[in-house]
Amino acid sequence: MVILYGMGSILISFMVGILFAGIARKVKARVHWRYGPPLYQPLIDIVKLFHQRSVSHGFIFDFGIFFSLTGAIVTLFFIPIGYIVPLRESGGLLVVLYLMLIAPFGIALSSAEGANPNASIGISRKFILALGYEIPFILILLSVMTYYGTISFAEIVEIQRESAWGIISMPVTGIAFLLILPAMMGLKPFDQVGAPQEISSGPEVEYGGIYLAMSTIQHIFLLFIDIALFVALFLGGGSEPLTFFLKMLPVFFVILIISTIYPRFRIEQAFRFCVRWPTILAFLGLLYVVWR
Amino acid sequence: MTLEYILITAFAGAFLVYLSGRISEKLRNSFALMVSLALLFLVSFLYNRIGISNEYFSFLDYALILKIDWLSWLFGTAVVSINLFAIIYSLSDMKGKKRLDLFYLLMFLVNAGMLGVVFSGDFISFYVYWEIMSWSTFLLISFREEGFRAGLKYIVLSIIGSGSMLVGVLILYSRLGTFNISVIMKQISMLSTGFTFTILTLFCVAFGIKNALMPLHTWLPDAYTETESTFTAVISSMLTRMGIYGLLLVLFVIMGINRYITLGGGKYSVVLSWLGAVTIIMGTFIALLQNDAKKLLAWHGIGQGGYMILGIAYGSVYSVAGGIFHAINYSIQIALLYFSIGAVEYRTGTRDLNSLGGMIKKMPVAFLGSLLGIAGLIGVPLTNGFVSKWLIYKALILNRSPFLAFAALIGTWGTILSVYKFLHNIFLGQLSEKHSEIKRAPFSMQFPIVILSIVIILFGVLPGIPLYIIEKMMIGMGFESFGVKIWGIASGTGNLNTLSIFIAIVLVILGIYVFYRSGAKSKRAKQEDTYAAGHYIQKDKYAYTAEFYAPLFDIIKPIFREWINIFIEKLTVFGNNLSDRVRRIYVGDLGTYVLYIVLFLAFLLVSGLNIW
Repeated sequence: MVILYGMGSILISFMVGILFAGIARKVKARVHWRYGPPLYQPLIDIVKLFHQRSVSHGFIFDFGIFFSLTGAIVTLFFIPIGYIVPLRESGGLLVVLYLMLIAPFGIALSSAEGANPNASIGISRKFILALGYEIPFILILLSVMTYYGTISFAEIVEIQRESAWGIISMPVTGIAFLLILPAMMGLKPFDQVGAPQEISSGPEVEYGGIYLAMSTIQHIFLLFIDIALFVALFLGGGSEPLTFFLKMLPVFFVILIISTIYPRFRIEQAFRFCVRWPTILAFLGLLYVVWR
Repeated sequence: MTLEYILITAFAGAFLVYLSGRISEKLRNSFALMVSLALLFLVSFLYNRIGISNEYFSFLDYALILKIDWLSWLFGTAVVSINLFAIIYSLSDMKGKKRLDLFYLLMFLVNAGMLGVVFSGDFISFYVYWEIMSWSTFLLISFREEGFRAGLKYIVLSIIGSGSMLVGVLILYSRLGTFNISVIMKQISMLSTGFTFTILTLFCVAFGIKNALMPLHTWLPDAYTETESTFTAVISSMLTRMGIYGLLLVLFVIMGINRYITLGGGKYSVVLSWLGAVTIIMGTFIALLQNDAKKLLAWHGIGQGGYMILGIAYGSVYSVAGGIFHAINYSIQIALLYFSIGAVEYRTGTRDLNSLGGMIKKMPVAFLGSLLGIAGLIGVPLTNGFVSKWLIYKALILNRSPFLAFAALIGTWGTILSVYKFLHNIFLGQLSEKHSEIKRAPFSMQFPIVILSIVIILFGVLPGIPLYIIEKMMIGMGFESFGVKIWGIASGTGNLNTLSIFIAIVLVILGIYVFYRSGAKSKRAKQEDTYAAGHYIQKDKYAYTAEFYAPLFDIIKPIFREWINIFIEKLTVFGNNLSDRVRRIYVGDLGTYVLYIVLFLAFLLVSGLNIW
């Protein structure tokens, strides 16, 4: 049963993620007054990359990317997509917080063995940005866990279903989360990590063929995870995978529109932004939760 | 009976090794190995003799007692295991260096001192062994000439600490009339709150200095950096954690959890926890700014020590379990990391993070050790550090202390940034031309690295192995049981199942591997063969390691400075200047002295003071 649920959550999140990536390209094109590729273009890209030859730089170059993709997939197992939670009793939100760092860490290990300076610059930017958004993110997760008095992800969703949604109980915290979501997903104005015009796509510079395919799949899963976290923690999750998906769609759309019209920050500007407004809001939210 | 034999073996072994070194080097090395192996066997076979205690000597009518409980067994085993690994490691690390007989003598004296501390059943023995340990450490820190100042810094703080402990012990004796720990345990409830508060503070200063709790940490970074890597592993993994042992002894064995947690209306625990939290943040973020690999790890020694203090001082079942477990985990991780960086330094002769890089191709075992070591420090799931940190976070969150939890979690991110810099700048990135002929580390260096790496994963997947012992120990201290299973924790307030995470990760990795193999093949490329957007990458000119987090440094440097060290150095300069001024009064010229006397008499007459 657990394995079936696991397969289910991988399949659902992959399909939803691919769809979102397709929507992203389409919406961006329409804002630019272009026609844009078909919705299933990301899938075509992955299939194409799967059959292309590639270059490897050593054992950690291979292992790091496996590790990264594994981190993304295992994180999925903790997220209640409707009633599907493969690893319900294995440590809750605290484990999610730690598993989420495996994905960037694996990419960092892998691409750094490529010995390409662009990759190293990209990684250093990723970690600086990650420190920036993790400060408010930790405050947000702590507010949620303190408010509901549990560290179990599934229980948090169930309590919301019985009472009010998280965004109504903790509006300030919810807004803080919305502000850092683009940074977590690496969308503009927070795409310094893979900035193609500056550092040749950063950590991905040495990836081709199957490696680029795995890196893209990992990105797609992370896209799903970040939005799913918001939906599950603040929009009450969903009783079924379908309602869950329907709640994810508008959230993604809002972030997409923001990211389409903004240019890229410099990395220190991005860091300063993250540790300023979202952090202040998240801190106020935590104060409210503690002294409620 | 057995306990005396252990101490006799430890001390006699130390001198035996020293004397045999006078005869031949080979004999000394084999004796060193035999003594440390013998100690490991002796201590670990005490497993089924928990609870015994016996008088071994009588000093001025005070019985000196040795005892063993789960706490001392756990720390004792850790001490002798780390010592064994350090001795194996030293066989090649110290080869060909000067004054080796003295080095081994001091290593075994430190080891014997630590064993004495953990098995002491009375405060006289405790204090004596504590001093043996501290003074041998001082000699070892200043073993190299560069280390003399660091050693001096250490011993000054250490004397303050032992002085404070001695005052505490004597005050206790003046009131209770005994040095025996088990008698003090029974009578401590007679003491008033204010009295307990004073005693506890005195002991906390002593153990806080040893464990480098801020603001008493200033000895640690230099001491770790300037010693030989062999001894840095010992000092960082076990010796510093004697502070944790002492704290556990005083807080939970002697005082008892209920008295501690209600002391001063619970404020004592809060203040101590916040000191731990500040130590975490400052320690890990200052580590980020370092460019010397050993110094970077040394600052983590301070930061991770903060987690242990936070867990223990917070005083809930889970947090104390997490704190103790973290002390054990951290001792494994940091020994591993110092062994790895020591191997790199042994082969390349440098530990400067800005001039290394790409060593993974040349020293894969040292890389493996570093990778698992830093994964443990961060607390990546399936390493031992994850379980201990999870326990601490869970306790803090469920008891509604989110701000403490925030400090601890942010400390984790400081750790990630700095240890990734450590790993990247040494092992990843571009291999420098001058390191192209480097060989692997010798076997005696690789052996401890491999064993400790395996232990990190073992304790991460099956945390029940050490946690069973910690649970027994804590039940002995008066805590309730917390549902340890071999695969993690089962409790009413949320489980942790590392085994299921492990199975999930293995299955997923297998799936990904199948996916990877079924795709198009890849071919190996050299490091010169990279894509640089049309530029030509010159050798040795294009490595991005120096100033790895430059944009971040500009922002955080003004905040995370070594404030206390700066203050102490200013104080030193001020003291020097003041003494210099005072010295100028004594010019050594008789006429001036006569002038002083005349002026003084004139002052007396004019001011009209009637002193005669």
